[in-house]
Amino acid sequence: MAWDGNPETPGIRNIGRTAEFTRPAEAELASRIDWPDDALMVAIVARDEHAFAVLYDRYVDLVYSASFRVLADAQLAEDASQDVFVRLWQRPETFIAERGRFLSWLMSCTRNRAVDELRARGRRRKREGGPLGEPDEGAQPVFSTEPVDPLHSAQLHEEQAIVRGALAALPRDQQVCLELAYFGGLTQQEIATRLHEPLGTIKTRIRLGMQKLRRALEQKV
Amino acid sequence: MAGEHITQEQADEYAIGSLEPVLERAVALHLAECAACRDMARDAERLASLVALTSPRLKPSPRLRHRVFAAAGITRPSPFRRAFTIGRAAAGLAAVIVAAGAFTGMVSIKGQIGDLRQQNSDLQIQIDDALSQKVELAALTRKLDDQEKLAAQLEERSKDDRELNLAFMSPSTDVAAVTSLDETGNAIGRLVWDSEQKRVWFVASELPRRPAGETYQIWVNSGGRYYSLGTFTPDDAGFARYETVVPEGLNTYETAVVTIERAGGSPVREGPTVFFVADLSRLRN
Repeated sequence: MAWDGNPETPGIRNIGRTAEFTRPAEAELASRIDWPDDALMVAIVARDEHAFAVLYDRYVDLVYSASFRVLADAQLAEDASQDVFVRLWQRPETFIAERGRFLSWLMSCTRNRAVDELRARGRRRKREGGPLGEPDEGAQPVFSTEPVDPLHSAQLHEEQAIVRGALAALPRDQQVCLELAYFGGLTQQEIATRLHEPLGTIKTRIRLGMQKLRRALEQKV
Repeated sequence: MAGEHITQEQADEYAIGSLEPVLERAVALHLAECAACRDMARDAERLASLVALTSPRLKPSPRLRHRVFAAAGITRPSPFRRAFTIGRAAAGLAAVIVAAGAFTGMVSIKGQIGDLRQQNSDLQIQIDDALSQKVELAALTRKLDDQEKLAAQLEERSKDDRELNLAFMSPSTDVAAVTSLDETGNAIGRLVWDSEQKRVWFVASELPRRPAGETYQIWVNSGGRYYSLGTFTPDDAGFARYETVVPEGLNTYETAVVTIERAGGSPVREGPTVFFVADLSRLRN
């Protein structure tokens, strides 16, 4: 019993999947808005479309923003975000709560998907990309809505501010190396080449940067 | 990597994505097999993933929501599917009753958690299987790499053979027989000297391997003084082929010898002679 290409999940939970779905009723969404991420993922494994809608609205900006940071292209960032969420719906079991936070897992999936696209694009165009260039203002979508989940959104903003502060507190050269690796998808050797620095210097900067970031965030996030 | 644990530094580099692909693959392979390192890498990945939160907050276009839901298959069912659904419902009345129970709140999410845990456990087994396949794939990839290296070595050796054959045929080349001074041995060899290209080959067979700490060293005599051409080691079958260029400034030569020296070679000829090469100048003439 596999409809819409989704994995089979036997039991009464599947019955809900015969229901029509366009946009979840406000009441259905409201009942799940306060659920933590892990509970939403459990519900998604049970093919709860409303839970998926809540999770999508909760994190789509974050996923899109990270994708855009890597790809610097609105269309490609939307494609990558779509892939991340569709995979989340189709393969929710790949998230295992015991192994860590949902947000970490989602961000890792997003980064990996975007970097894969970046490398594929690099291979296609056979030129060095500039993923850390300033975003093209003209390409930025302007759609804006009120947060669906104000409390969660506020917590997320606070967490973002803490991490941004920790990253900004690093020496500039360490910060650049971490960003080139994480958002640029560059290896240490590629970073060394781009920055015209010895490989050992780059390795040291990444090591020190991660150490300081760990110390700065382990108590706060 | 196999058999060794990764360091915190490697875990960080792996998590931030800065490792070279070959090393990254080796780390991934190790993580598939080592729970302790896997925990360390996961902690590093959790830290690295926070970096993603520093991206400036942007909003995608409103059409993305529709695209995602459509691509996920969360759409209005087609008439065919409706008919299919009705058919299923008619055929499975009992399931429909249970479903109705579910819809009316008879079954709560809490009640499903046990099932879901079991499901997660099953899925974990599938993930482990997939991981095993990944390990096998990595092993095959490594084997392929080894084969490619071997093919490259064979190609290199073939190229060396061609060059040696060409040297044999060159009119500017002298070929001298090598005389073994060890009467109990069966070693035979040739010294090939291409004066035009300033290259020299030494080829010998049935050459006993030297014990640890010793090596063969070849010397050429010019003007009564010995100049080292370098050290060489025969393979397991006792075959040795050594190629080098004639040292700069060495224009005349008379004889050559092979001696046994300490490992790494000696700056002056000290060890016992095992081969003597006939008078090259005479051969050339």
